[in-house]
Amino acid sequence: MVSEAIFDAINRLLSSHIIESKLLNENELYAEVAQSTLKDDCIKIYKNIDCVLIDIFGNDTSEIDNNIIVYYTFAVRSSNTLITIYVKLDKSCSMRIDSITREIPAASLYEREIQDMFGVVFNDILDNRELVHHGNFPLNIHPLKKDFKVNTRLDFEKRELEFASISGSGVFEVAVGPVHAGIIEPGHFRFSVAGEPIINIEAKLYYVHRGLEKLSENENYMKVLLISERISGDETFTNSLSYSQAIEKLNGITYLPIRALYSRVIFSELERICSHIGDLSGLCVDTAYVFAAGQFAMMRRWIQLLCEQLTGSRFLRNANKPGGLRRDFIRNNDKIILECLNKLDKEFKETVAIIKNNGMFIDRVEHTGILSNSIAVDLNAVGPGGRASGIKADVRKDFPYAAYSNLKFNVPEHNNCDVNCRMNVRIEEVIESISIIKQALEKMPEEGPIAVDVGNLKPYSYAFGMTEAPRGENIHFVMTGENNTILRYKVRTPSFCNWPALCYAVKANTLTDFPLINKSFNLSYAGNDL
Amino acid sequence: MHNTIKKLFQHGTVTVDYPKKPIKSSFITGIPEFDYDKCTRCKSCVNSCPTGAIVFVDNDKQKEKSPAVNVDECIFCRFCEEACPNGAVCLSNKFELAQKSRDALRTTPICVIDDDVKGLEYELLGTQLKEKVSKIFGKSLNIREVDAGSCNGCDNEIMALNGPYNDIERFGIHFVASPRHADMLLVTGCVTRNMEEALIKTYNAAPTPKLVVAVGACACSGGIFKNSYAGKNGVDSVLPVDVYIPGCPPRPQALIYGILKAIGRM
Repeated sequence: MVSEAIFDAINRLLSSHIIESKLLNENELYAEVAQSTLKDDCIKIYKNIDCVLIDIFGNDTSEIDNNIIVYYTFAVRSSNTLITIYVKLDKSCSMRIDSITREIPAASLYEREIQDMFGVVFNDILDNRELVHHGNFPLNIHPLKKDFKVNTRLDFEKRELEFASISGSGVFEVAVGPVHAGIIEPGHFRFSVAGEPIINIEAKLYYVHRGLEKLSENENYMKVLLISERISGDETFTNSLSYSQAIEKLNGITYLPIRALYSRVIFSELERICSHIGDLSGLCVDTAYVFAAGQFAMMRRWIQLLCEQLTGSRFLRNANKPGGLRRDFIRNNDKIILECLNKLDKEFKETVAIIKNNGMFIDRVEHTGILSNSIAVDLNAVGPGGRASGIKADVRKDFPYAAYSNLKFNVPEHNNCDVNCRMNVRIEEVIESISIIKQALEKMPEEGPIAVDVGNLKPYSYAFGMTEAPRGENIHFVMTGENNTILRYKVRTPSFCNWPALCYAVKANTLTDFPLINKSFNLSYAGNDL
Repeated sequence: MHNTIKKLFQHGTVTVDYPKKPIKSSFITGIPEFDYDKCTRCKSCVNSCPTGAIVFVDNDKQKEKSPAVNVDECIFCRFCEEACPNGAVCLSNKFELAQKSRDALRTTPICVIDDDVKGLEYELLGTQLKEKVSKIFGKSLNIREVDAGSCNGCDNEIMALNGPYNDIERFGIHFVASPRHADMLLVTGCVTRNMEEALIKTYNAAPTPKLVVAVGACACSGGIFKNSYAGKNGVDSVLPVDVYIPGCPPRPQALIYGILKAIGRM
């Protein structure tokens, strides 16, 4: 439950500004404020309550009241509470609100996203460039407005994209992408370099923008489950879990079968192990350490094979659904899971010992790509990237879900802020994950149902679903429409938060270290672009 | 150093013997198959299919209209299996699904709303190209991977091709850094608006003769991202495609099967 202290604090800070306030889903606090006081209210909350800005998003509620609502969500990590300030903008009047980027830097990307997708204009915005749209997108078209049809075929325009350029003698620009040299996703980077060191980097993403949020609108909630599984291939389970949790919450399902909760823990952790080992393999590839890369790739395949044996999918697809799991995948399989984990545990520790004793490898990763704590806090860096810079945040601890509150585990803490640190966070997390799965298998009841029926969805209700993805804090907002459809599905994956952090971390490093630093954050382009 | 060498010998060769020996595993998720004796033609599977891959059409062997699947649109979500009251639909473990034309994957003809499909006229060209490729390149092939809007599932599986278990280099197949060095483009994703130009430029940059392989349900038909303002419905609405590899995502062996099929070694 929300502590009295937070209630009091919000009432004291916003007092007369609050038009309407309500508490939903046990820990979500919503307060409506006026357009004119919005900026002050957000800043008051940010400065006076120990919280972080985790999401800003729009929602076109034409079906209900001809408004566009903009939500500002703050997370109080110390007391399991989400504070959401929202403002209703009348579509027929001017849709202008004040930008808060100068006071809360993490808001920058969200504001640009809302400008592109909803046409809400932010006064005094720091960076007015388009974020989602590219030069080919017609001006003044805003896809997430309800009057825009999802299958509209738009014309291709030609506009030049703006990039911040740095000039001076000996300063050159290097353009990379969107088609890269390796087998990775598309993104365009402009490096301004003085010889080898990078002065500035500009990233233009959204090449794999598939219009996923728009595609989810007015679709049955079970189809949206499949879309959520396909946000980012290697985060399939955690995304579908966030979505399922949001649906369960908004429909008032508070107790799931215990077997379902533990199964969800097991699959989430398998995915985390798989992702982290893949990253370690990537780091070794980028330092041309082929032996270790092969070792980690081999271990990753063990886990993928285990996932396939359990669920029939190497990426844990078709496993989750609102209300529990699609089938009881763990039954009679305890033994193969334990066997695989024991094998992995031994091999992993031995390989880690080898790479940590390799001076040439450590030389590459140490003191490379430093993301200082103050910048990480300002940009709300999440996941291993944040934890390596001294941000102690983990959704599994702060906002416990599934069965995590019954399990013992440590969240690794590091303060050196470099690639080595992020690598160590991952290594420690893999070992913790193995122990979590073993505990979960032990504590799981032998028999019992695996899912409950969700029933019909309550129309026009909403909730947040939060999970700790392998890459960090993952937040999904779901609002339902009528007849079991989804009205608004907002996805904020950890990659969205960490891209600006990455751009800071590469500055002053050499161009050749960029792939290494990029890999140490391991951000998903698909998860960012949606 | 001692530990490194010890490890090198500890696991021996881990590479899978595919395609010399077939993969026999009951865990693989493959194409949906219908048991028409059990089927009551209730259409639950047709209604449950999120991408419209299951169609209800005349069947040569069956006397009445029966459900059938268009594999290029299937995302292997198992919704049909769960919806069927009689257990007549079952996802088999056949994963070697790659075909040279999209029609071979389908039971009903392609119904295109507004994107042109450039498949048929290029089919003849494709066969000529294939002969040229085998004549010029021998048995070696250089591949450039292009992600044109996938969820990165397919890309992860393509990356796994280079891993110790699949080791595609043993077939003389290499992944190269530039389209200028490539004989084949491996395209994933539904082709988003923002990648369309880059994909065409990559195609033009690759020297002829060249092959295009569409990987995954999105690349074959748009998959679950079909009919979006931000993308096209598959690679063949932009480029001529030589081989389609369905799957969501296709497992590495399915990719090997498709690539070898494209160069006529399967």
